[in-house]
Amino acid sequence: MRRTQPFKGLARITREDDMKADKTEELIAKAIAALPYSRPSSGFSARVMAAVTAEAPRPWQAGIFKTAGLIVTAWAAALTYVSLRFLHTNLGDIAAQAIQPGGPQQALNLVAARAALVLAKTASAASFCLDMVSAAGLPAWYEVAVAALVCSAAIAALSKSARLAGRGI
Amino acid sequence: MMMGETEIELVRRCLEGENSSFAGLVELYQDKIYSFALRLLKDPAAAEEAAQEAFVKAFKALSSYNPAYPFSSWLFRIAHNACMDALRAGNKTVSLDHEDFPDLPDKAAGVAETVADSIDAERIEALLSSLPALYSEVLLLAYREDMGPAEIARVIGAPEGTVKARLFRARELIKVKLGAFNAQDATV
Repeated sequence: MRRTQPFKGLARITREDDMKADKTEELIAKAIAALPYSRPSSGFSARVMAAVTAEAPRPWQAGIFKTAGLIVTAWAAALTYVSLRFLHTNLGDIAAQAIQPGGPQQALNLVAARAALVLAKTASAASFCLDMVSAAGLPAWYEVAVAALVCSAAIAALSKSARLAGRGI
Repeated sequence: MMMGETEIELVRRCLEGENSSFAGLVELYQDKIYSFALRLLKDPAAAEEAAQEAFVKAFKALSSYNPAYPFSSWLFRIAHNACMDALRAGNKTVSLDHEDFPDLPDKAAGVAETVADSIDAERIEALLSSLPALYSEVLLLAYREDMGPAEIARVIGAPEGTVKARLFRARELIKVKLGAFNAQDATV
């Protein structure tokens, strides 16, 4: 009995402490829940909407993004289809290549060589384009436009006269 | 918290491209988001900037919002990120490693007898602003915004266990500080 008495007392004190702690927590919760909201300065909403409008894409921009997205998706689908078709058609050859000794290494070498070739071709094409763009003496855009108009008119006139000649007029 | 009918409608109309509907959402949430930012940043100009940034980001990311979850917690998550960015930009630490968190006594109980009258709005505001942002924000989200640990976890991007631990430590810290306030008052 003498051993359990202090323990019971301690339990009661702990329970009281817990109750006090619970009450404090409840009071803290209530005080925080009752905190008022502050209002931003006047015109905040208008400023947000101005920023939002500036960020929002224009309808024509949205159209361009949508079209670009569709083109990319279509290209991705076409590429996937062609790749899968290629794999399906050449599955036998690929498997044979893979199982023969040194086959995977040979295939890797082949792919690396092809990639290097494509890279070199791309680099030279890019360099050629840059040269063309930066070359001095290129006609101005309006000269190109006039030349294009003249050429179109000449082609139209020639085709018209050919049609007339065909009809025997 | 369930989404109100108006809120769902406004989000739907925004997603359909009616940008002006977003003004309704701003009107609904501007006080909540601004107050949340103000209590974390403690600077009205910085809070307005963070709140504006949060709304603009929310508008841009509206298509990624999942209506299965409350809109408020999604918006508060964006606001939380904006506030954390602002705190980092202001070189104010948000790391748990460097925060000013004193050793707590084993039990921070025993202050309830006298606190009933002492927790007024001004005092709780002062206590909250004396806490590191990581702790004050979980208290605000839990009690002011009435969010559960799971929802707070989504807002602050931390595991639920971390949220519960932070809530516990925040409450204990508030109790200790409240006790110190009361002792100070008693001596005056």
